[in-house]
Amino acid sequence: MFKNEEMEINLGPQHPSTHGVLRVKLRLDGETITHCRPVIGYLHRGVEKICENQTFFQGQVWTDRMDYCSAVANNLGWAEANEKLFGITVPRRAQYIRTLLNEFNRLASHLIWLATHALDIGAMTVFLYAFREREDILDMNEAFCGSRLTTTAFRIGGLREDLPPGFEKLVKKFLAKFPTCIEEYENLLSENRIWKKRTIGVAKLSAEDAIAMGVTGPVLRAAGVPYDIRKAFPYAAYAEMDFEVPTRTEADTYARYLVRMAEMRQSARIIQQCMDGMPEGPVMAKLPKIMRAEVNEVYHATEAPKGEIGYYLVGEKGSGNPYRFHVRAPGFINLQSLPKMAEGGLIADIVAAIGTLDIVLGEIDR
Amino acid sequence: MNKILRTLIPFDIAKGLSVTGKHFAKVFFTANRRKVPFHIVSEYPEVIAKVQPRFRGRLTLLKDEQGEIKCVCCLACEKICPTQVITIDKGKKEGRKMPFPVRYDFEMERCIFCEFCVESCGFDSIILNHQFELAAYNREDFSLGMEGLGQNMYEPSPVGKFSVADD
Repeated sequence: MFKNEEMEINLGPQHPSTHGVLRVKLRLDGETITHCRPVIGYLHRGVEKICENQTFFQGQVWTDRMDYCSAVANNLGWAEANEKLFGITVPRRAQYIRTLLNEFNRLASHLIWLATHALDIGAMTVFLYAFREREDILDMNEAFCGSRLTTTAFRIGGLREDLPPGFEKLVKKFLAKFPTCIEEYENLLSENRIWKKRTIGVAKLSAEDAIAMGVTGPVLRAAGVPYDIRKAFPYAAYAEMDFEVPTRTEADTYARYLVRMAEMRQSARIIQQCMDGMPEGPVMAKLPKIMRAEVNEVYHATEAPKGEIGYYLVGEKGSGNPYRFHVRAPGFINLQSLPKMAEGGLIADIVAAIGTLDIVLGEIDR
Repeated sequence: MNKILRTLIPFDIAKGLSVTGKHFAKVFFTANRRKVPFHIVSEYPEVIAKVQPRFRGRLTLLKDEQGEIKCVCCLACEKICPTQVITIDKGKKEGRKMPFPVRYDFEMERCIFCEFCVESCGFDSIILNHQFELAAYNREDFSLGMEGLGQNMYEPSPVGKFSVADD
């Protein structure tokens, strides 16, 4: 009368916990996941091909729209890859401002991760508090470049404009209150018994598996590998900054939470150092009137909040647009570890696994 | 023993509740008494948020002191636009040495507000204004040009036509 059968269900594509339009095919044995395959492509726009048909200058607006939670970090990677291609040296003040805004963007991205991850698992209060601080960062984005989310913050060769008047006051105000805000989140979550039960030992990914699948960012660092491109291959002004790379060895969801919280503290430290050591000078390098690439190719990797974002550009001789453009998106590669994390676990824990990877579907599908 | 005590007495829950309780008390005792210098949220249609000076809103054509359009049809904005929303036709006008735009069309529904056009303009003849309530009911309302039913691109721009605040 009763049969033991495996059941197949779809999680998403219109599910609030999948952070966008991600569909996950699941095969369940009772409540245990035996088979898990993410299905992507619902937000595909063909960004790489579009950028190949546009000039180097215009391509930047598309990098905003890949990972829309960390647009400034994407802009930085694009600008630096192009500067590598054309051999442009960026003035030192521009490097510092780029570092400053990049770290603010890391804070904003981690805050939105914390908010949605906690909301998925069932802690609603953190969502409201985290968005309160994120609002200040978005206001600073607006003050600097005029837009809040799709920033188009940098230009090839430097910045469009210097910092606006009154920006330092905003930063000071933010830095004065931010440590207490992190303490608030930690008071709400770190010791909470429900949070601990939902995260400790859930969605484990060992260091060997993470390295084998090319996973980067906080997911890798929570497995005990201290790999951070800001330290390993310093770019912008990170060589002059003093900061630590937080790591944990537990490799579970709780460890990733602790790593990201520690990273936020380090970001605040870097912002303070940027403001203290801000050099004077121009913010834009001298550029040729029309940008023409010689034939050569560059790959430039930077540390986006989600992991290593790499831009691969091939220039064509005498042409104003890239011959080939490819993005190594951190979310896309981190998502490949989802089956490893989820298979063998409970179906309720896949929500934690998706949340802890911190994926943005705009970047995965491109 | 210690673990049993920690399970029985919910210190962790109390810690979290103290955070939310503090915020609740702060709002409860200061609400409607004008003691809070600012609230984190404002009630949007009544209180319109102040935008920063560099805010990127709708594209606007500028005129000089004589009421002449500043644009000289260099087509720099048309070339640099990543989504090709600007269309300009060159023309001549009596008593004007520089070329004059006969047609300056702007398709707002495809505009991504990147401000590349303003940056490329060497004559300061266009700006992005501070208007952010850009919703409309008809698709034709997004096609702006030099002439039309209140949908032209000069200053003052047709602010508030579709604003909730005006109703």
